[in-house]
Amino acid sequence: MSMRVLKAGLQTTLQGVPFAGHRKIGMPAAGAADCLSLALANSLVGKPSGAVAIEITLTEAVFEIQEPCSIGVVGGAEFLRINDVVHPQHQTIDLLAGDKIHLGPSHQGTRTYLAVSAAIHADQVLDGQSTYLTAGLGGHHGRALQTEDIIAFTQAPSNQRRNRSTPLHLRPHYSEDYMLRVTPGPEADSPDAAVVEALCRSPYVIGARMNRMGLALEGDSLERETFSNMPSAAVFPGTIQLPESGQPYLLGPDAQTTGGYPRIAQVIRADRHLIGQLSSGSKIRLVRVTAERATEIYREKLSLLTPWLGQINFW
Amino acid sequence: MAAPEPMIHICDDWISISLASREAVFAAARNFSSDKCWTEIVPGIDSVAIQFNPALLSPDEASHLAIRQLGTEVSETYCPPPAIVIPICYDAEFSPDRDLIAQKLALKSTNLSTWHTSKTHRVAMLGFMPGFAYLESPEECPAIGRLENPRQLVSAGSIGIIGNQSCIYSFDSPGGWPIIGRTPLRLFDPSRDRPALLTAGQTICFESITRQAFDQWPQGAME
Repeated sequence: MSMRVLKAGLQTTLQGVPFAGHRKIGMPAAGAADCLSLALANSLVGKPSGAVAIEITLTEAVFEIQEPCSIGVVGGAEFLRINDVVHPQHQTIDLLAGDKIHLGPSHQGTRTYLAVSAAIHADQVLDGQSTYLTAGLGGHHGRALQTEDIIAFTQAPSNQRRNRSTPLHLRPHYSEDYMLRVTPGPEADSPDAAVVEALCRSPYVIGARMNRMGLALEGDSLERETFSNMPSAAVFPGTIQLPESGQPYLLGPDAQTTGGYPRIAQVIRADRHLIGQLSSGSKIRLVRVTAERATEIYREKLSLLTPWLGQINFW
Repeated sequence: MAAPEPMIHICDDWISISLASREAVFAAARNFSSDKCWTEIVPGIDSVAIQFNPALLSPDEASHLAIRQLGTEVSETYCPPPAIVIPICYDAEFSPDRDLIAQKLALKSTNLSTWHTSKTHRVAMLGFMPGFAYLESPEECPAIGRLENPRQLVSAGSIGIIGNQSCIYSFDSPGGWPIIGRTPLRLFDPSRDRPALLTAGQTICFESITRQAFDQWPQGAME
């Protein structure tokens, strides 16, 4: 009961729900960088929204299924081919033993999720199974998948046949130009309120320095009244820090738990999944909202998704 | 005597609370830990952050709850985590910055281990990586500062020192703190009941061990 990696690609990892409740001992969230695409892929194979799936980053990847099962693919991949025949994303696909899944490189967006109807084996760490690469924990021996790896299934695929197709209005639109909504961060309070205005004034481009820990934002350099490093304090995925260079830095899912740079803004939970689809060259516009408005947006998004996805949490 | 009002800042799903003292940070973290609605409680050096699920709590509700819990006296007497002795090996291989550190402290390199083991430390907070500990020492110490060129690889167990502040690296990682020695203990092991070896607020002392003792240190002995 398994699946073979014929071509692993740049950074392909097993990811599901993030680690939760352990930031006080320094354990980051990890987990799927784009929780919405993961949930949509899992839904196609009848799994809970946060079940462990395969997260593919930027480059193409090829897998061979060793037994009959069904799959669902959602993300930025340019194409999906089964044994050289093109198939659409957002559709349950039934496969036979020996079938090859070929995911194209990212066209727009950065990550693609491949969910399978069988339960994927992943190392259990604390409360989760996602891969945290920096410390080599969870997932497939704590590392990115390599060509010729075998991904084991712990449970046979269910025989129950499903044929699901994501409703059109729920399909994410991947692009190279995103709007991310932010609330001011703790260090953006007066006398530095102007820094958030400046941050939202003009677009930023994601720089070459980007990974699951964070992304450098290139654009207008920002100035603060005082530029001293502050005593280390909590940061979260989606926190925008302002290092001395004046170039903001957006934290990703593997962000460390504490940092010493001013936390000038926080991408709201409803928009945080978009961070997983940003790559070098993507353009982002930041839009300021209040914490109250951010909560309304989040609840509206959940109520749009729950009829299709069932119970879902963003992270 | 009125304590200074804590400063509260609310993002959409987390709250940052600035506090006047380290004791206030530890006390706040303890108060919050009894309420399941906080999905993360992250002590910083002079602040604590708590995260919540915005589907269940509004920012307004969360901040009212936080303010109320901040003011609550914890009824049971607080027992700080027990002090711990950390074995440290000052072998030259594990102490690449001994000369630099000794120079800043106006000590002979050979006296560095005696100086270091005579100090007591307290775990200020965990962060950066799983189990990575920031330590503080109450005793006066000249500033040592960070390395001009951070290392690409600092081995797990390495102890860095920049003055009154020290740290213990829990995993192999890049790092810029001058390294004084290395412990054979595993700072983070997810298979243990308590994966992180150290706890914020804990007192620690270093005890010098030989290279032979380091090499033969039984893994799992401190678990």
